[in-house]
Amino acid sequence: MANPLPRRHSNLWWLKRRPYFIFFLREWSSLFIAGYAVLLLILTSKVLDGEAAYNSYVNDVLESPLLIGFHVVALLFAVLHTVTWFGAVPKGLALRRGEDPVPPSLIIGGSYAAWAVVTIVVAAVFLLD
Amino acid sequence: MADTITIEVFRYRPEDGAEPVYDTFDVPLRQEWRVLDALNHVKDEVDGSLTFRWSCRMGVCGSCGMMVNGVPKLTCSAFLRDFAPGPIRIDPLDGFPVERDLVTVLDDFMGKLSAVTPWMVHKDERSVEQGEYRQSPAELAQFKQYSMCINCTLCYAACPVYTHEDDFLGPAVLALAQRYNLDSRDDGNEQRYPLIWSDSGIWDCTFVGECSVVCPKHVDPSAAIQQAKVQSAQSFFASFLPFGKR
Repeated sequence: MANPLPRRHSNLWWLKRRPYFIFFLREWSSLFIAGYAVLLLILTSKVLDGEAAYNSYVNDVLESPLLIGFHVVALLFAVLHTVTWFGAVPKGLALRRGEDPVPPSLIIGGSYAAWAVVTIVVAAVFLLD
Repeated sequence: MADTITIEVFRYRPEDGAEPVYDTFDVPLRQEWRVLDALNHVKDEVDGSLTFRWSCRMGVCGSCGMMVNGVPKLTCSAFLRDFAPGPIRIDPLDGFPVERDLVTVLDDFMGKLSAVTPWMVHKDERSVEQGEYRQSPAELAQFKQYSMCINCTLCYAACPVYTHEDDFLGPAVLALAQRYNLDSRDDGNEQRYPLIWSDSGIWDCTFVGECSVVCPKHVDPSAAIQQAKVQSAQSFFASFLPFGKR
């Protein structure tokens, strides 16, 4: 073999095809979710600082147009991440009934059901006196 | 349907040392012709120097993989009519060096394949008198899907990690390693784990998932890799337990 053409790659590979772009968005979603988590931690610390600090943080910071916009974008990314994550669960969870694989739709449905149950339990613990 | 369709074919002539170019050909657009038939028509009737791999013409040998309009496909399974009115752009598979025209250099893939011991390993070889290694249908079902791989390397061309990371073992190699690790007759797991659980193995995979989408044999390498990640993580945490072993 003489003088082969070296393998080629582009840093814009994620724009070449739709599935790559969806993957790219899924990875970027973690940044927005991390940002949301930081805001939530700050909010928690303001609760500890007292009612005035809490109200000031909510009114002056969280209700600013910039942060409302950020929360909308973070919510959209969180939905994308959640849907793609639950859609990927059957790949890592190879459940079988004898020789037959458990249908992916059942595993995905079970994941959503488990998520709903955990959400209801958490809401019940924190919202009900 | 029109009588002809245009194909734009990637040409690289190593002896020239020139940049690759695209040559354009008008080929008959016949109902039953595949992209491979169009390439063979060009080679037989127009330009005998066009170079590409093919053999079985029926999706079994895995030789004729190319990028067809930017998507990795077996050209013997890609019908011209599905790309009408054209043009159809045909490139060598992404991620590999190119030897000539549409022929890729597979040395890297073959080296990585043999590195994961993709064959049966037995601690105690059975003699002929002792009989065959028996396996139930349920045990066969654990790995059968992964044994369907024909080494066509479409999954490598679809994987941006392989394209950018020189060390990454890649989808087919990891799926084949998992195929033997899941085989109840095999004793080679401990031999394979250090490499496939390393940074150049399963943990380099970012789960783009396109390897499974383009696989013509429905092997699902991304599932094999994610399941191996679960096993690797379980083993890591088990190593902290007094009775656990890694």
